Formats: sequence, structure tokens, C-alpha cells
Amino acid sequence: MAAQYPPAGVELAASTRSAAGGDAAESHGRVTRHAGIDRLFHWLVAVTMLVLLATSLLPVIGIRFAWVEVHWIAGILLSGAVLFHILRAALRKKLRIVVPRPADLAELAGARPGKYSIAQKLTHTAFAMALLTAIGTGVPLMIKAGTPFFERDPYRFSLSTWGWLTVLHDLAAFLSLFLVMVHMYFSLRPEKRMYLRAMISGGMTRDELRQYHDEQRVQRGE
Amino acid sequence: MSIFRMGHDEWGRQLVNGLSWNLLPVAFWAGVAVIMGHLVVRTLAARRRRRREG
Repeated sequence: MAAQYPPAGVELAASTRSAAGGDAAESHGRVTRHAGIDRLFHWLVAVTMLVLLATSLLPVIGIRFAWVEVHWIAGILLSGAVLFHILRAALRKKLRIVVPRPADLAELAGARPGKYSIAQKLTHTAFAMALLTAIGTGVPLMIKAGTPFFERDPYRFSLSTWGWLTVLHDLAAFLSLFLVMVHMYFSLRPEKRMYLRAMISGGMTRDELRQYHDEQRVQRGE
Repeated sequence: MSIFRMGHDEWGRQLVNGLSWNLLPVAFWAGVAVIMGHLVVRTLAARRRRRREG
């Protein structure tokens, strides 16, 4: 069966970039990898995570400033963005595209991935765990600190419960620090830079899609 | 190295207050280790490939 272009889930952004025409023109076409709204989500999460990490961890290493207000404002922005992202992915039935599956292990033997490689899926899973933990514990901690959205109530939970909520919040922060460092490193690697470019411009070349991804898997929404 | 930051309640009972700040450098250096490990593996792989190709 001949491959269909563009595969389902891959929208053609601009059909040609070359004046050569025919196959050459098609091979230089660009395919959309990330919609504008997804890129906005990614960069909003990136900025808010860096603000959250800076406001929580810089005071720990001795750089003291009034961090609480900036921290919870960034936390609320991050929570809203993540909630929107989950709802959007669920409504578009795109949740499974980022979930690692046994079939992804074939990549270890050289098979090409669908839209996302197993490493990208695992990174997404780790970020999801860290962010959901940070948000799930951060919201009750906002009640402890008091914000315009939550009346201050440090007696809502026992001291022990507050302590364990803080443990999980700290764990999410440390995991996030590790993940952000590794994620930034890999996004800047020459062989992975096309993914950074795609997260900025939205697209990758058709050649890159063919070279690094299995178009049939992409077509199946994997 | 302690894993938790500890405190006391009003009756003097020991309580967990959070994760130990000593683990912050662990998270940072774990990230550095992964990056350095990957750089070493890539460099060795490239050297091996160059040697194989003559």
C-alpha cells in the first residue's frame, strides 16, 4: 500500500520549499509536528517551571528574596496550563500517543518510532509525574501559606500531613530540576535539534520525518 | 546524610518537615552525571565508528 501524505495526524504546513518540483519539492516540504497551542503550552510550562525552580531553590542555596508570591502565581499558571493540556489531549483522544507501550521496545533493536520515540515518551511520563505531584501537593500548600484564592488555614491538616505533603512537593522539585537539565541538554544536541526547531517553528522537514520516524506508525497515531 | 528535614510538634514529638536540602546537590549532580555519561558514550561511539571506517 502506498504511503499517504500527509499521514493522519501530520498536517502539511507548506507543500514546497524548493523550485525543483516533483519528488524533490515534496521531499523539501514541511510537516507540522506541533500545533501552535501545543507550542504555547510547552513554552508556558518551561517558563513557569524555571520560575518555580528558581523561586524555591535559590533561597535554599543562600540567595534570599521574597519568593512566595512569585512562586504561587507561577504555580497557578502552571496548574491552569497542565489542566488545559490534559483536557485538550483527552478530548482529542490523543492521550495514548505519549504513553510508552511494549511495542516501543522495538526501537532498541533499531526500529523507527511513531510520532514520539520511547525516550520522549518516558521523558513526558516523568515530567507528568513530577508536575502532577507538584500541583497536587502545591494546591494544599497554598492553603497553608494563604493566597487570594485560598484563605490561609494552617490547621486544615495535621503537622505530620503538612510535612509529608512538603516531602512530596520537594521530591517533585528535585525530580523537575533533574529532568529540566537533561531535557535541555538533549534538546540542544545536534542530532535532536530538529525537535527543538519543531517546538519553536512547529514543523520539521518531510525528509526528517522519513529519516527518523516510521510514517506508518505516525499514521496509526502511535 | 539525612533524607528528611525534621522538626518537632508542640509536645516535642519528632515530625517530618520535608526532604533534606542535602538532596538538592544530589539531584543536580545526577543531571550532570547523565549529561556527562551521554557525552562520553557518544564520543566513544564516534571514535569507534571513525576507526571502523578507516
